[in-house]
Amino acid sequence: MKLPGKALVLVTAIALFATASPAAEIRIGVAEALTGPVAKYGVPIRNGFALAAEEINAKGGIKGNKIELIIEDEQGKKEEAINVFKKFIFKDRTLAIFGPTLSNSAFAADPIANAQKTIVFGTSNTAEGITAIGPYVFRNSIAEADILPKVVGVAKKKLGLKKVAILYGNDDSFTKSGYDVFKRVVEQEKLQVLTTETFAKGDIDFSAQLTKIKNLNPDAIICSALVEEAANIILQARKLGMPERIRFIGGNGFNSAKLMEIAGKAAEGSISGSPWFLDDPSAKNQEFVRTYTAKFSIPPDQFAAQAYDALYIMAEGIKAAKLSGNLEKDRTALRNALAKVKNFKGVGGLFSFNENRDAAQKGRVLIIKKGKFSLYAE
Amino acid sequence: MGEFLASTWYTYNTLLYTIFVNGMLALSIYLTLACGQLSLGNAAFMGMGAYTAAILTMKAGAPFGIALIAGGALPALVALIIGIPTLRLSGVYLAMATLGFGEVVRVAFLNMSITGGSLGLNGVPAKTEFWHLLLVMGILIYFFVKLKSSRFGRALEAINEDETAASVMGIRTTLFKVWAFAAGAFIAGVAGGLNAHFTFFVSPREYGFEFAVDILTFAILGGTQTFWGPIVGSTILTLLPELLRFMGPYRLALNGLILLFVVIYLPNGIVSRDTFKKKADRG
Repeated sequence: MKLPGKALVLVTAIALFATASPAAEIRIGVAEALTGPVAKYGVPIRNGFALAAEEINAKGGIKGNKIELIIEDEQGKKEEAINVFKKFIFKDRTLAIFGPTLSNSAFAADPIANAQKTIVFGTSNTAEGITAIGPYVFRNSIAEADILPKVVGVAKKKLGLKKVAILYGNDDSFTKSGYDVFKRVVEQEKLQVLTTETFAKGDIDFSAQLTKIKNLNPDAIICSALVEEAANIILQARKLGMPERIRFIGGNGFNSAKLMEIAGKAAEGSISGSPWFLDDPSAKNQEFVRTYTAKFSIPPDQFAAQAYDALYIMAEGIKAAKLSGNLEKDRTALRNALAKVKNFKGVGGLFSFNENRDAAQKGRVLIIKKGKFSLYAE
Repeated sequence: MGEFLASTWYTYNTLLYTIFVNGMLALSIYLTLACGQLSLGNAAFMGMGAYTAAILTMKAGAPFGIALIAGGALPALVALIIGIPTLRLSGVYLAMATLGFGEVVRVAFLNMSITGGSLGLNGVPAKTEFWHLLLVMGILIYFFVKLKSSRFGRALEAINEDETAASVMGIRTTLFKVWAFAAGAFIAGVAGGLNAHFTFFVSPREYGFEFAVDILTFAILGGTQTFWGPIVGSTILTLLPELLRFMGPYRLALNGLILLFVVIYLPNGIVSRDTFKKKADRG
């Protein structure tokens, strides 16, 4: 046992020296879940960053300084996220940090970056209270609290909704916080809630809940679910003979292209909200979709698009900040410059931070038509 | 040099803290393994401790020490309640009961409002200092060293070797098993409380079946013949992914490969009784 142990230490030491090579001038840490069950979100995010960095550096960088991304896997675990953040802040001494993938990890790791006065910029954290952690926490992901009221409002106006049924996953922080927002909005919009049903992640049979909902005959079903469950719910509802008149109104799980892949025709007419959608005809977005697909041989998703925009937003901040070479001062200077970024034109439309360093946008309301997302209301 | 040491410390202190906490968890399961019982509820006990301690410091403003002790006491009490009926039986019943129990606890965390449901509790104050971990670990090691030559420790060993023979010798097997189980729950609860106060966040998904198996792996890999085994096993399993970070996407594969070789070539775990004997012979 002795020899392999020593060899391991040696190999580790060599590797540590190898990675500590002299860096480009602007170091930015990217902490995302690249392995494990959360990697399906983390990998597109990493791709989005990589593409944006490549483009920026190909055009000569920011004021001649190249961006160096240091990418680390945080596995979607809070301890790992903390370890990676600390490595970025104290060892790699990055100017800013992107990530982590999950809101849960953000609640654990963001306070560390904030205490060290280092920017942490989330591109996929949608839970309430993330930016309340402190003044160095930013995000361009649109919180459910912002997007869902708009979705429900638009649907109510266009479809004349009066009574709805609610269905949500109660064991997942993502779907549960989506439900909390829906519940509040439904009260504000004075919609009558016929029933509130729940399920758990990984459930495959929803017929009990759906039969009950069908018998109550609502105008629409408001559903907070991840995409796998969402697709199954839609499929089973239509199979139970629920008429297409009863629309599904969903949160983040409903704006994934995977929904159509799994549910096919049954997904037609479903309404959701998103800051970005694949078929957005703007030239900037079409160019992004084309280059991303060419590079990674898979079309981008919402997470890739938000990461892509986030690096450009960061670049705007870096351009505006006066960097002195003193890392501590530069981190603060960048923080102040980043907070002022306004009307940035990205693949997800115009972007500005509000006074809480959240996205000022409310996102766009989408509807599925002929197997594609199209704009229901801007 | 001082600056380098400081930055190294700040970079890796969470990792060091995690090594200590995982060491405590490995010891908590070692106590039940030492009397031949398999508990799969230690992740749930850890969760109960984490929530209890976090709620006490966050919402009641309790001192950290009190919160930690309460975080250990509650799971110990629950362990007594489920241990008394199940440990009267021999065989795999404790494993079955704790497997179900872990799920019950997870669902309870999800549905109670005081635990924040699936959103968990965030903003747990940073109270865990390195000396807390050293102190608790020191107490545990002292306890386990003393245990070996105590009546309690010998009774556990006798039960582990042959439960029927032990009861014929007049050892109250159920009593000792229940105490070992409850003491293990206490240790896991304290470890949970310590963990919550340096990761700032607790949520139900961390204390599920997967982590219960991780804890078991700590002990099995390190070896369960002495209490040093679980400590060594948990240290290696916590450090390894971090040491292999330079491997990029392959690190978890290599991690698994190393585990595989250890299990094949060291079936008694990394540390067994022979490890100490050989050294004694040589020296």
